[in-house]
Parts: sequence; structure tokens; C-alpha cells
Amino acid sequence: MADIIQIVVLGLALGGVYALMGSGLSLVFGVMRIVNLAHPSLIMGGAYVAYWGFRLYGVDPLIALPVAAIILAATGVLLYKLIFEREAKSAKYSEMTVLLTFAIAMIVEGGLATAFTNTQRVTSPGYATDAFFIGSVFIPKGQLYAGMVSLALIAALALFLKYSRFGYAIRATTQNREAAELMGVNVNMVGLVSFAIGIGLAGAAGALVSFVFSFFPSKHWEWVAVLMSLVVLGGMGSILGTVVAAYVLSVLAAFVGYFFGATWSVLTFYLALFVVLLVRPQGLFGEKPEMA
Amino acid sequence: MSELLEVKDIVAGYGDGPAILNGASLTVQPGKVHCIIGPNGAGKSTLLKAICGMLPVRSGNVRFKGESLAGLRPDQILQKGICFVPQERALFPKMTVRENLRMGGFSLKDQSDLERRVDEIEEQFPILKERRDQHAGTMSGGQQQTLAMARTMILRPDIVMLDEPSLGLAPKIVQQVFDIMKVMADTGITILIVEQNALLGLRNADWGLVLDLGRSLFEGPANDVLEDDRIQELYLGGKKVA
Ligand SMILES: Nc1ncnc2c1ncn2[C@@H]1O[C@H](COP(=O)(O)OP(=O)(O)OP(=O)(O)O)[C@@H](O)[C@H]1O
Ligand SMILES: [Mg+2]
Repeated sequence: MADIIQIVVLGLALGGVYALMGSGLSLVFGVMRIVNLAHPSLIMGGAYVAYWGFRLYGVDPLIALPVAAIILAATGVLLYKLIFEREAKSAKYSEMTVLLTFAIAMIVEGGLATAFTNTQRVTSPGYATDAFFIGSVFIPKGQLYAGMVSLALIAALALFLKYSRFGYAIRATTQNREAAELMGVNVNMVGLVSFAIGIGLAGAAGALVSFVFSFFPSKHWEWVAVLMSLVVLGGMGSILGTVVAAYVLSVLAAFVGYFFGATWSVLTFYLALFVVLLVRPQGLFGEKPEMA
Repeated sequence: MSELLEVKDIVAGYGDGPAILNGASLTVQPGKVHCIIGPNGAGKSTLLKAICGMLPVRSGNVRFKGESLAGLRPDQILQKGICFVPQERALFPKMTVRENLRMGGFSLKDQSDLERRVDEIEEQFPILKERRDQHAGTMSGGQQQTLAMARTMILRPDIVMLDEPSLGLAPKIVQQVFDIMKVMADTGITILIVEQNALLGLRNADWGLVLDLGRSLFEGPANDVLEDDRIQELYLGGKKVA
């Protein structure tokens, strides 16, 4: 029984981190219809910010988190202004963005590898190797903190989207871009801000990831697959769907890992993706595609 | 009588494509209901999109209260008091009815007034109050059209343009749509409506405009348009209607 509780708790903590990693991706897809393959590489960027902050200045990664978020959000603004704003007018926009973001991912990976080599890194604040014991249930502090911070950030995002005026504008643009424009929403501004928030969340997730997983520049490809499966499972562009998918699959993956070994744990995500695409292609929370 | 909106010889089209409107003109008088009729592909929807700024006007001009609207963005034209309800109704399917109404007031300068205005609309349209927490996408076509039309009233605009609001609705519901339009007109809103059923549209209007091949063919009091022989033949099936 204790084993089961422990697997669930670990699964939930990790699920929170994946949920945060995926929610920025989902937000950007929802508003701008960009399948941002570079999202995980930008998470990697956030991880390096936290890593060096700790290595060089002894800054706790949880303190570095807002810094990583801001640096990455600024990067997002730059990318949007330089590339996506113009690209949005092209007729082949969706196809183009896949290639473009793929290229950005390669460039970020190359840049990080050149600057910091391919050495495996992990940020190691005290709590990263510490744990709580509740009875015989063992909970690593690092994963617990990362999971809780992720949850708090996702809740903040949800409240912002649900209640703020700008949140209304973002949701409206996601659901019906032309209608949003007719209501007087400046959809280009919404695109810019959503992109900045989405990439900023990638930066925040990176800071958390930096002490939960060991990482190296090319590891983002592994995350691409996991995050894409979350976003598709959640129903493209549904943040709630992405978050639920992250929690459910992480717990599932934790069980698979426990019973069949860690190698199989990651495969849970791909397998689930496979099954969902066969059975319910619009994802858990997605709409059926229009028949018209 | 002074015109509220004057559209003069405008030319407009999509992207780099050919001109769809080729010298369309229209005069809009305050407080009246104006119906635009014409065959499929005549450019009726295009005309409304050009007026509200979704399509750039290539030549000719659109003047609202004597002021040119040339070069203004849709949100700026909305600010001036011209609302557009496109054929697809422009609702947010996964927002609740009340959230949709709030979006209608998105461009209000004074957001503190928004909740009160939304309440007012709910009082005026009980069905919207009843369904306030329901997702707009789950309502019937008639209810969605009611929401789309009522939502424009949040801004208390001067002009509301309706593109085929009756499309795809049962006859009984179509009458409701025209009733709502009357309610809007009674509050002083000037209406511009595109209607596929010329007879129905003109009977509910004060002023008629016949558009064909992107040009204004004929414009005048709705009754005169109904009675005009050319119109009778072209669009009303040639039968005399009294
Ligand atoms: N988004 C678009 N891009 C390119 N051409 C368009 C677009 N929308 C409409 N058109 C073209 O413009 C012309 C006029 O279309 P419009 O929708 O204005 O006609 P309409 O009078 O509203 O017709 P209907 O009664 O079918 O609604 C048509 O030839 C149509 O093919
Ligand atoms: Mg039309």
C-alpha cells in the first residue's frame, strides 16, 4: 500500500512539472496555431540559467526561476517580432512554423552545446537530494517542491486567463480569432503577449527541471516527444486538457516504471499518444473537427 | 436629411485578388432599417466587411458622421460605433453566454460599467439570463443568433450590420430574429441587414439596396424597391407582391 501511495505521489509531483512544461506550449498553439517544436529547447535554456546561477553564484534555482522566466519571455518577444509576426501573414503559415521552430530548436541546441558542452548537468541545491518520510512513504523534496511550484504557476495562469481582461482576450482569440477582432481585440498584441507568457513559462519550467532531471543540450528531443503527446492528448490548444493529460500520464508512467522498469516508463507517453490518436483523434478535451 | 453613413463608389477585394466590389454605394439614414439584397456572390458580405474595416477599401470612400473611415482598423471603427455580426455569428463557443456578453463590451473605455450593461441585456433578453452559464457553442441556432445580436447592444452602437441573421433558422425562429432587430431599431440603433429572402428582408426594412456584381443597382425606400419591375423580375421571381 505504501508503495502505491509513493508511486502516486511521485507521479503527481512529476506530472506537475510536465504540466507546466506543456501549458506554455499549449497556450502558444491555442492562440497562434504555432506547433512550437522549439519549446523544449527553450526549457533547456531556462535550465541552464538556473544551473549557472547556482554553480557560479549559489542562487537557489527557485529564486532563479523568475529570472529564467523573464529572460526566456524576452527571448520570446524577440522571436515573435523577428519571425512569427511577419510569418503570420503567409498563407502557408502552419507548415512554415513547423520548419521554423524545428530550425530554432536546432540553433538553440547548437548554441547551448557550443557554450556549455554536452556534459550532463544537474542543479544540486540541498533539497534536491533530501527527502521527506511519511511513515514508510519516501518523497524526494526536490520533486515535491518542483511539483508544488508548477501547480501554483498553472493556477496563476488559469486565474489570469479566466478573470483578467487580457485573459478574456487570449481565450477569445484562441476560440475564434476573427470574432475576437470584431470585438475590438488587438489580436497581434494578444499573439505577442501569449508568446511571451508561453516562452516565459518554458523558462520557469526549465529552472524546476534543472534540479529534477539531469540534462544536456540535446535532451530536449526527448521532451519534444513527451510534450507533444501531452498537447495532442489534451486536445490541441486546451491548457486544461494538457494539464490533466500530464498528471494522468505521469502517474501511469510511474506505475509502469515501478512494475516494468524505467525504460518502459517513458514509453507510456508514446503509447498513450498512439492509442488516443486511434480512438479519439481530437484528444481528451478537444472538439471534433468541423465536418463542413 | 443628413446621412449617418455614406458609402460612395467603393472598390474592394480580398488580398491581391480581383475587385469584388466595383463601385458600390449606399446611403444610411439614422434610425432606419436598411436591407441589402442581391444574388449569391453579389458582394453583400464583402460590402459589410469593407465598411467595418476588415477589408481595405481600394478606392471610393466611406464616411461616417461626415468623417472618413479610410485606413482605420476594425477595432477603431468599432470604437466609432459600428458593429458587425458576420454570417457565422462570431461567438466564442467555449465561453459562457455571460462571458460572450462581456466580450461584447471588450472595447468599452470604462470597464467598470460593463457588468451593469451586461445585466441590462440579460434583463432585456430573458433567454440569455436563463442560459448565462451555458457554453455558447451548445445553444440552438436561434439562441446563438439572439446572443450575437444582443451582444452588439452592450456598446450602444450607432450602427449594427447583420449578415444574413436568419440563415439556417426555422421559419418561426426567423420571425424572432426580425423581432429582435425591431427591438434594436426601437432603441435608436440604425440597422444594415443582408437578407437572402428579399421579400422578407424588404418588408421588414425602411430602405432597400440591390447589389449585383459588386455594384449598386438600385436604392430607395423599401416599398419602392419591392414594387420596382426590374427587382420583381430579377429577385422576387417575377410575381407581383402587394
Ligand atoms: N475570403 C474570401 N477570399 C476571396 N474571395 C472571397 C472571399 N469571400 C468571398 N469571396 C468572393 O467574393 C465574391 C462575393 O462574395 P460575398 O460573400 O460578398 O457575396 P454575397 O453577396 O455575400 O453572397 P452570399 O449570398 O452567398 O452570401 C464571391 O465571388 C466570393 O467568391
Ligand atoms: Mg454573404
